[in-house]
Amino acid sequence: MRVALFVTCLVDLMRPSIGFAALRLLEAAGCEVVVPSTQTCCGQPGYNAGDRAAAAALARKVIGEFDGCDAVVAPSGSCAAMIRVHYPALFDGEPTMRAAAERVAGRTYELTDFLVNVAPLETIPGRYDGTLTYHDSCAGLRELGVQAQPRALLARMPGVVITEMRESTTCCGFGGTFSVKFGDLSAHMADNKCAHIAQTGAAAIVAGDLGCLLNIEGRLRRRGDLHTRVWHIAEVLAGDDGVCR
Amino acid sequence: MSAREAILARLARARGAGPAPEDADDRIRRHPRGPIPPSGDDPVRRFREQALGLRSDVATVTSLAEVPERVAGYLRERQLPMQAVCWPALMALDWRAAGLDVQARPARGDDAAGITGAFAAITETGTLMLLSGPDTPGTVSLLPETHIAVVERARVVATMEEAWDRLRAEHGSLPRAVTFVSGPSRTADIEQTITLGAHGPYRVFIIVVDDALAAEA
Amino acid sequence: MQVTALQFKRRAAANLHDEKLQRALARLQTKFVDARAAAIAELPDYGSIRDAAAEIRDRVLRDLDGYLRRFEQEATARGAVVHWAESAADVNRIVADIAEQHGVRRIVKAKSMVSEECGLDDALAEAGLEVLETDLGEYILQLAHEPPSHIVAPVVHKSKEDVADLFAAAHHRPRTTEIGGLCREAREVLRPRFLAADMGITGANFLVGETGSVVLVTNEGNGRLCTTLPRVHVAVTGIEKVVATLEDTTTLLRLLPRVATGQSITNYVSLLTGIRREDESDGPEHFHIVLLDNGRSRLLGTELQPMLRCIRCGACMNHCPVYQGIGGHAYGWVYPGPMGAVLTPAFVGLEDTLDLPHASTLCGECAEVCPVKIPLPDLLRHLRQRQVERHLRPWSERAALRAWAWLARHPALYALGARIVARALHLCAGRKGRLRHLLGVSGWTGERDLPAPTGRTFRDLYRARRR
Repeated sequence: MRVALFVTCLVDLMRPSIGFAALRLLEAAGCEVVVPSTQTCCGQPGYNAGDRAAAAALARKVIGEFDGCDAVVAPSGSCAAMIRVHYPALFDGEPTMRAAAERVAGRTYELTDFLVNVAPLETIPGRYDGTLTYHDSCAGLRELGVQAQPRALLARMPGVVITEMRESTTCCGFGGTFSVKFGDLSAHMADNKCAHIAQTGAAAIVAGDLGCLLNIEGRLRRRGDLHTRVWHIAEVLAGDDGVCR
Repeated sequence: MSAREAILARLARARGAGPAPEDADDRIRRHPRGPIPPSGDDPVRRFREQALGLRSDVATVTSLAEVPERVAGYLRERQLPMQAVCWPALMALDWRAAGLDVQARPARGDDAAGITGAFAAITETGTLMLLSGPDTPGTVSLLPETHIAVVERARVVATMEEAWDRLRAEHGSLPRAVTFVSGPSRTADIEQTITLGAHGPYRVFIIVVDDALAAEA
Repeated sequence: MQVTALQFKRRAAANLHDEKLQRALARLQTKFVDARAAAIAELPDYGSIRDAAAEIRDRVLRDLDGYLRRFEQEATARGAVVHWAESAADVNRIVADIAEQHGVRRIVKAKSMVSEECGLDDALAEAGLEVLETDLGEYILQLAHEPPSHIVAPVVHKSKEDVADLFAAAHHRPRTTEIGGLCREAREVLRPRFLAADMGITGANFLVGETGSVVLVTNEGNGRLCTTLPRVHVAVTGIEKVVATLEDTTTLLRLLPRVATGQSITNYVSLLTGIRREDESDGPEHFHIVLLDNGRSRLLGTELQPMLRCIRCGACMNHCPVYQGIGGHAYGWVYPGPMGAVLTPAFVGLEDTLDLPHASTLCGECAEVCPVKIPLPDLLRHLRQRQVERHLRPWSERAALRAWAWLARHPALYALGARIVARALHLCAGRKGRLRHLLGVSGWTGERDLPAPTGRTFRDLYRARRR
């Protein structure tokens, strides 16, 4: 199966290890992975800000880059949802483009969903010994139904003990530009999330979206919590090998 | 152009853009039901469970003759006045023998208790259905602090949908007021703390009777 | 009611640090969120009931004028008078005229969000009419001269001490903070007013097309008192409230109390049809139903049409992490939370409500809990889009988004830019690996660190790896 990896702009800029972890996992699942070299951004920032034209322009680019593979996989629920759920409607009134959008959308998956339901990964390459708690990122959860999948994958790791936090499905407050535009509100929500994480006593907090992780980590550290590790699920599943520093 | 014409015209214009509507008159004539949760086997038991959950008090008796003594016992237990108003259909019961001062008239602000019948009792939610009318004054179940309802077992139905069908069959059209009563009045406006007895009755005592009441309740 | 939505950010910031309000808002979790979850867990077929409820509302919206005509016909045949109002001012004028027509002086009122929308109480007061709010929460607000902060629980923001202070000042009785005592006090003070009133004003939770009935869903008994004793009853509501049949009403009633307050049914559900018969001893002699448009008809046929399905349950705001953080007053109008963030711009205009559609992460919890499946995040995004089309966004925001979109379409330049930023952030963060300050994003760094990147982009590392 030929899979194109949608790295996401945040992973590219802020934490490439997630991209490499995703790569490793997809290969472990038996996929041939390509990484289209001109990829940049899925267009979510403009789309959520109401600039539909800008979003459509970026979508056109993405569709052009990713049409032709068996699947498109992103280590991000929000980016995968942008493509899978929102791309087609951007081209209402343009039948050819709409058809292409639907084609790519229909083959786009969030990483853990792909590794459970499309190219099942039975043996997890990584090793993790200890407790962790999982935050359900909103777009992945509510637009793509990602909730059981990451937990199913983690359950295949013998050393992992998952301690569920209260309100794991409540928004962490990131929301893209919301985190800057309504910073105090966003930080308040992040603070609530951090409090729930602290209550679990888990050694690490894990999620499937880097935006959430940056937000949570940022608030944890400002609260004085320097010990709770913050991992993307791909990093936990893939382990240290195959991760570039 | 009147406001009515302007608004309706605007609505018709907006509708013009969408798909053709289904026939409203036809739907109203058919009045199909939506999905209904299963109701289980023992209607009176279910009604009792639901009503108790709403903080009503419930008793079951075989004959109407037992009702006055039950009411008297209820009021005495709570040290409440042995005085009530009732619907005319209930005046035939022997209240005096049970030590109760009961008059068949609408309630006033100073009446202690009000005794009504009920058109139906709905097991799904432990609810009483009361219909307004010349012989079923609404004040009797509303003004006094205690509301006592005598419900015929044959009028216990599973759902509000069944109650509507019964109403259509027995009355044809709706009375001025159909009131569904589900327990003592309550409010949670202050700190979301539920307090029983807001502006309506403080307590509701429901007596389910096997007998039928002489006149329609 | 006056709109102050432009003060959203300032108010929200203040409310986040209002400890008393935060304590009050913490009650939303158990009293509303958990209560709703328990109540719908009792319905094994909740999903299909919810689907049916959404379709019930949509069906009416597809033929709103048809159902309204039918409602009016049935109601009129039973002796009610149906009035149509384009605007809030029209409602106020109509109700004042009705009061004058019937020689009314003393008015008791049950809770009605539409009447808040219109500022009816103030308008009637100006016309010399005494209006007493009788819903406990609304009565408290009337004493406090405040608007509601929630559409179902109007004084969720107040403590029992607040109420005790208000009652002590208004009732001239010894102050008590015991909630049962406060409720009994309100009952005793208000009861004589019910008995003396000429007119009762209510809203309407639903209007039944089949029978011309007004449906009231209440708990306290004040709704019944307002519609049983006074000789005139006026019901004020929005044109979108009509429902086709008694059965459709019942399906909606199966959900509304459960998702609003966790009750299987509210204490009282009243269906009021027409006027008192000659031989009846109670009920109004005159029944007036005022139907308000005020912008609702303009939503039909647009992307915002689904908002008209709303049955005013409050579930969206109960579950919204933004509402939970700031409360209802920050939204600046009658309707707070997610539904308010859509309705306020829709009814009042985009210009005066710029922040409301943006004060959301689009997390989608509201849509998940909405009993009639309103796609609230999509509607918020649509409003954001309308703002962009009308050039209402700040210049700097437009420029930044345009720049980003342009850069992202030029991969070579993008790669260069990303490489520079990654390196710069990494260097600025130093050994700690995180930044405490960053120019231009003080909204983030005010209360959070920014974890620093490792300094090289995935693109560069991947290319290097492949050589």
